[in-house]
Amino acid sequence: MSDLKPILLVEDSPKDLELTLAALEQCQLANTVVVVRDGAEALEYLTSTGAQAGRETGDPAVVLLDLKLPKVDGLEVLERIKSDPNLRHTPVVMLTSSREESDLVRSYSLGVNAFVVKPVGFEQFFEAIRDLGMFWAVLNEPPPRGKGGSGNA
Amino acid sequence: MSSVAATTTGTPDLDIIGCEQEPIRIPGSIQPQGALLVLDPVSQVVMQAAIGDRSALADDRGAIGRPIKDVLTPGAAAVVQDLDAKVPPAGSVSLGALRTGATLHHLVAHRSGGMLILELERASETEPRSFDEVYPHVRDFLDDLQHANSIEDVASLAAREVRRITGLDRTMVYQFDEAWNGTVIAEDRNDRLPSYLDLRFPASDIPAQARELYRLNRLRLIADATYTPVPIEPVLNPKTGAPVDLSHSILRSVSPVHLEYMRNMGTMASMSISLLRDGQLWGLISCHNRDATQVGYHIRTACDFIGQVVSMQIAAKESAALAQKRSALQTVQSRLLAQMAAAGNFVTGLLAGTDDLLALTGAAGAAIVSGDTCTLVGETPSEGEVSGIVDWLAQGDRRDIVVSDSLAGDMPGAERIKDQASGLLAISISQLHDSYLLWFRPEVIRTISWGGDPRKRAELDPQGLRLHPRKSFESWQETVRLKSRPWEAAEVEAATALRTAIVDIVLRNAEERAELTERLVSINKELEAFSYSVSHDLRAPFRHIVGYAQLLKKYEGDRLTERGDRYIDTIVESAISAGTLVDDLLSYSQMGRASLRPIRIDMNMLVDEVKRALLGEEEGRTDWTIAKLPSVMGDATMLRLVWQNLLENALKFSRERDEPTIEIGATDDGNQVTYFVRDNGTGFDMAYVGKLFGVFQRLHRVEEFEGTGIGLANVKRIVERHGGQAWAEGTLNGGATFFFALPKEVEVE
Repeated sequence: MSDLKPILLVEDSPKDLELTLAALEQCQLANTVVVVRDGAEALEYLTSTGAQAGRETGDPAVVLLDLKLPKVDGLEVLERIKSDPNLRHTPVVMLTSSREESDLVRSYSLGVNAFVVKPVGFEQFFEAIRDLGMFWAVLNEPPPRGKGGSGNA
Repeated sequence: MSSVAATTTGTPDLDIIGCEQEPIRIPGSIQPQGALLVLDPVSQVVMQAAIGDRSALADDRGAIGRPIKDVLTPGAAAVVQDLDAKVPPAGSVSLGALRTGATLHHLVAHRSGGMLILELERASETEPRSFDEVYPHVRDFLDDLQHANSIEDVASLAAREVRRITGLDRTMVYQFDEAWNGTVIAEDRNDRLPSYLDLRFPASDIPAQARELYRLNRLRLIADATYTPVPIEPVLNPKTGAPVDLSHSILRSVSPVHLEYMRNMGTMASMSISLLRDGQLWGLISCHNRDATQVGYHIRTACDFIGQVVSMQIAAKESAALAQKRSALQTVQSRLLAQMAAAGNFVTGLLAGTDDLLALTGAAGAAIVSGDTCTLVGETPSEGEVSGIVDWLAQGDRRDIVVSDSLAGDMPGAERIKDQASGLLAISISQLHDSYLLWFRPEVIRTISWGGDPRKRAELDPQGLRLHPRKSFESWQETVRLKSRPWEAAEVEAATALRTAIVDIVLRNAEERAELTERLVSINKELEAFSYSVSHDLRAPFRHIVGYAQLLKKYEGDRLTERGDRYIDTIVESAISAGTLVDDLLSYSQMGRASLRPIRIDMNMLVDEVKRALLGEEEGRTDWTIAKLPSVMGDATMLRLVWQNLLENALKFSRERDEPTIEIGATDDGNQVTYFVRDNGTGFDMAYVGKLFGVFQRLHRVEEFEGTGIGLANVKRIVERHGGQAWAEGTLNGGATFFFALPKEVEVE
């Protein structure tokens, strides 16, 4: 299944990481899950720069992005993705503990594709992750590279 | 009364056509007891002359057009030599006595209209030749003055002394009030003239222009009320073209009306000495003689000296009395200020010392009006009447301080409250909130003895050509009503100072409030930051507990005993409920902070949506009745939460009924719509209705009905954010109805 694009999971909390991975595992998605631990690493991965220059895995089908991240926070990562012509078609799902309206408003104004408040109950969390994974990693057909919008055509 | 230059009339009209317009400074004539010569200061040639007494002149060839040294006898040559250098720029100079044959004259010179005015006044052989001869009398007077304690004492001494020096029949000290009526406060007399002590004389007896002349020229003499005036010739000065201004002349002729007034009074000679205070006319020492008589020049000088001493004494005594009063009031005021400072609120502070509040202005009652509250102290009109006074004050020109000692004359309808408030002293504290401090004084009925009926002062003669002053000086009693004791200057000052202090306190309070608000805003910001971090940091561990517990159960479940399994379930349940609690609290705090985005809302659609979200397509056992619901403007997300909470509650508390029913309806009163949700569930005891909408308030044990106790608090908060109200009715085991009323148009915050 090497033609399946990976899921990029950006999460700093080891516990949230383990739980999210467990949920993704239960969804039995075929996509590879690439894990990075902060915003800077996420940007390096997305742009194939720094430590991620010449990475083997492909561009992500979807980025699962935690809001609160060390170094470069989630909102800033989102902003960089959505303002980069090469990256802006990459779907971004914000995963967060925050129920703050201002975060939500800001995320949508920056062009987030979905905003998920992590539910306290694991079952609900599992369902949310499964639905997201199914939609963004499997069902969603991304626009052909280099042809969408103002891309790099 | 009194020796007056021009005088009297009755109605204001008569005043105007009569005395006020009479040219008393330029009468064009002199009294006959001497001669007046107008000299060119350079050539010393006589330009104009009035010769009442020819005995001072050298010959009969007339004076006009001749040098002064030729007009007077050779004995006068030394006196008139270098006259221009001897006469000061202002005021007059005495040039001594001049003997011409058998007659003796006193020479006085002053300047007027660029000319030198030389006056020769006939002197008697017996009168003092110099001030030194009169001085011992004056010295005695000054000694006696040391013991005078009051203005009345000083006045009595002055009356006695002036009569002793002059030998006139009657001397009076006459004091003006603010309306220029005069009262005789001291008198010394023999029995040739009647007593006028304590009588009051109307302002029109001494018209304004006469008072002004008294201010300029302190001493005035009329030797014989039957005199025939001696004209000044020519009328106009050939060099200046103007008549001679006799303001500072000693021989100036007075108004014929005044001479008639004197004759009516039975006094043929009069003299007056002005008493000044701070440059203003305070009163007069007024002297009369039944028969015509002359008062010698040096005696008059001594009287003038006495007048000036009395003036200074009056100023000193009044200042001392004012200072003493001020200092007493300041003590009272500082006590009030201390109380206000301690109380922080000026009303409480003033009420802490009600005696001081009244003492500050010498009032019998006071009212503190602040916004809608009115506090009365002492003898005052009723609260309703006080509020009438406040309305009247607010309608006026909104001065900071209003002073009246005859409120009935100033405010329509105030006669009714004359017994408490004939006098009003009011200070405005805040015009924005209509805050006033009022002091009251009761009516004081007084009897004034007028020197003759002031309403019948003068009359025109039958031809209507000439004024005649009043003939009667019989004492006439007037009863003055609807007036209080007047407010003294020191009392008004104290009230003004108190106003300043109160305004400072009010301002300081406002500043403190602003500071407090600022602190609240910053504390609120901190709280927001706190709840934000709670939303991240507190929720995460609960999620982790639930997540790991469920993973444990999933992967290691078969190795657990039944008990271990139950423990894990309990851990999960507890962590979930803690997480829910955090979520509910956060949503409650968000409802208070999130901005309202009002749109028109179809309530039936919203209710159906919420109902479906709660139940799915299944209606279950519950019997639903949903009426047609009017639409309103509101925030859809927030109102959805309201319905969700109310429907959840209705379902929850009616689920144990055999036939649960839920009824939803609304009433529209035009301005607002009241919605309700009624169930036939467990209901509640109305005794606890107050707790229903509070945060974490629950009326049931958690085993009976789940929930965090935040739902209704949220409902209330959302409804109130929309400018509405929420309430409930219920009976224990008899169902409950929850109402919320929303305005049809919500104001965007």
